[in-house]
Amino acid sequence: MPELPELNPVIHGKLRLALLSLLIGVEEAEFTWLRSKTNSTDGNLGAQLLKLEEAGYVAVEKKFVQRKPQTLYRMTDAGRAALTEYVQALKQLLGGAMEA
Amino acid sequence: MNTNAEEQELKDRLSLIESMIAEGRRTTESWGWTFVFWGVAYYVAIIWTAVTHWPWAWLVTMAAAWVVCMAIIQRKQKSPPERRPGTTIGRAIFSIWCAMGVSLTLLLPALGFSGRFNQHVFVAVVAAMLGGANGASGMIIRWKAQIASAIVWWVAAVAACFGSDDQATVVFLVAIFLCQIVFGGYAMLWEARMRRLGAVNA
Repeated sequence: MPELPELNPVIHGKLRLALLSLLIGVEEAEFTWLRSKTNSTDGNLGAQLLKLEEAGYVAVEKKFVQRKPQTLYRMTDAGRAALTEYVQALKQLLGGAMEA
Repeated sequence: MNTNAEEQELKDRLSLIESMIAEGRRTTESWGWTFVFWGVAYYVAIIWTAVTHWPWAWLVTMAAAWVVCMAIIQRKQKSPPERRPGTTIGRAIFSIWCAMGVSLTLLLPALGFSGRFNQHVFVAVVAAMLGGANGASGMIIRWKAQIASAIVWWVAAVAACFGSDDQATVVFLVAIFLCQIVFGGYAMLWEARMRRLGAVNA
């Protein structure tokens, strides 16, 4: 019987999973856009994005646009690969559950 | 995998991923107005040329329309509260239309200066280019209405190669009406409907 895969704990958190799923469909996104799409608080969102950044799954760019601070998040290649692996592992686990 | 609860949890994760990807890609931008805007600009240029016979009327109208159109787009993109992030598909479509604009801006004056410009060539070139841009955009986003609009432009391009100058002008006017005014109006209604549905689902 094949060994079931382990789910990446960095991605497994619901908010972090939602963030990576949002970022995979866009080129880059502002903090405020991510906040509105996930209905999360500034503090929680910032903390989860920091975890993703530390894991190398998202890249951050801070700049000023018309004297207003703007924080942009972009998914890295490592993040893309990790999410793809996570989805494959999920499907494998669900497939195993259906066979059982 | 031990319990049904765990299985349900995994299914929830999968559906969360799907819904978030769809949310990220969902466009709330509205482009229908640009078709109507450019349709009106074409009519202005045609009427201006017909009335004054000034050779620069087209170029001046198109340049002014380009500046106004870009200013409106920039203003809309900066609108708060959450500026929508760009997608690869959005950039691809925008690039197609920009490239078409550059092609027309270079080609039409060159035809004029070389003395090879005539009504048939003008309508055929503009219609073929607009057909190409609409066709490519429609195929990328799989929108049948825009592909139909492209087909009308391509038919107009072929038709413009035959008949008299006046007939070529009539073909152009009809194609502008169908593909810019009617299609643009339809696109605006469709976008408004999508926004309403988005608001309900949000």
